[in-house]
Amino acid sequence: MSSTVDLGAILAGSPFCRFLNVRAEVDARGVLATLPIRDQLVGNVMLPALHGGAVASFLEIACLLQLAHETGTAAPARAIDISVEYLRPARREDTFARARIRRLGRRVAVIHAEAWQGDEDKPVCLLQSHLRLPSAMVRQE
Amino acid sequence: MTGDTNPDDDTRTDGVADMADNPYASRMVEYTPYAVAVGMKYASSSPGRGTILLPWRADLVGQDGTDILAPGVLTALIDHACGLAIMAGLGFEAAPATLDLRIDHMRPAAPRAAVTCSAHVYRATRTIAFLRAEVWDVSPEDPVAAAQAAFTLNRRDAK
Repeated sequence: MSSTVDLGAILAGSPFCRFLNVRAEVDARGVLATLPIRDQLVGNVMLPALHGGAVASFLEIACLLQLAHETGTAAPARAIDISVEYLRPARREDTFARARIRRLGRRVAVIHAEAWQGDEDKPVCLLQSHLRLPSAMVRQE
Repeated sequence: MTGDTNPDDDTRTDGVADMADNPYASRMVEYTPYAVAVGMKYASSSPGRGTILLPWRADLVGQDGTDILAPGVLTALIDHACGLAIMAGLGFEAAPATLDLRIDHMRPAAPRAAVTCSAHVYRATRTIAFLRAEVWDVSPEDPVAAAQAAFTLNRRDAK
């Protein structure tokens, strides 16, 4: 994993990432993404719990960041499909995510991501995505 | 959609026919902080069905310079329309929680286009609701995304 991509610039270039205020840092395991808690993210005021759509879109962003980090390309990949599983309610606190590229093909990447809050071993949400790689990245035969 | 799930057929046993109309269903959109934050607008609902409109907004765009809504915004819209479809028929006490959600992104929404999501419960048991949803910009015949979801329910009244 060698990356020269500026993740901060990728986040800054996405209005929706700015809206969610997603942060990213790189450590030995890859990209660690953070979704800082904000009252706006709540989807269930009774529990209270974060909106499932907010958590899922945060995981989609984590997949894009990990892909950019590993491939060294800032050009955006496009979502083909996603599958999300909600394991437990996301409480009203900061949420973290890591993504793992399970296969990097010539046109399509298969990426899995997990979100957690206090304990990384107790994920709140899992996401599997197929991403169409940016044309700039597709290797010519 | 096939013709074997006629919403007017009360003889079916899919757990949807016995739902009652919830006149307060729109509150689910109007009083949910995240739905308000992204600007969702309640469009319509009937037992087992819910439709929500999401006007285009510059701060919901996925990539500077594209004017196309981020796919993640559609994820929240779909999840919420599914919740609306359930609560429209079962009331707020059904307390639906998303178990899983799968979304196919068939094409990007048009630049600066509002999108609409319509979800329907095609089967509900005492504890689970199964839903399908479509998202479109111009016409429901030409969806930008299609989704399938399962929700857990707390449904004391069901047989």
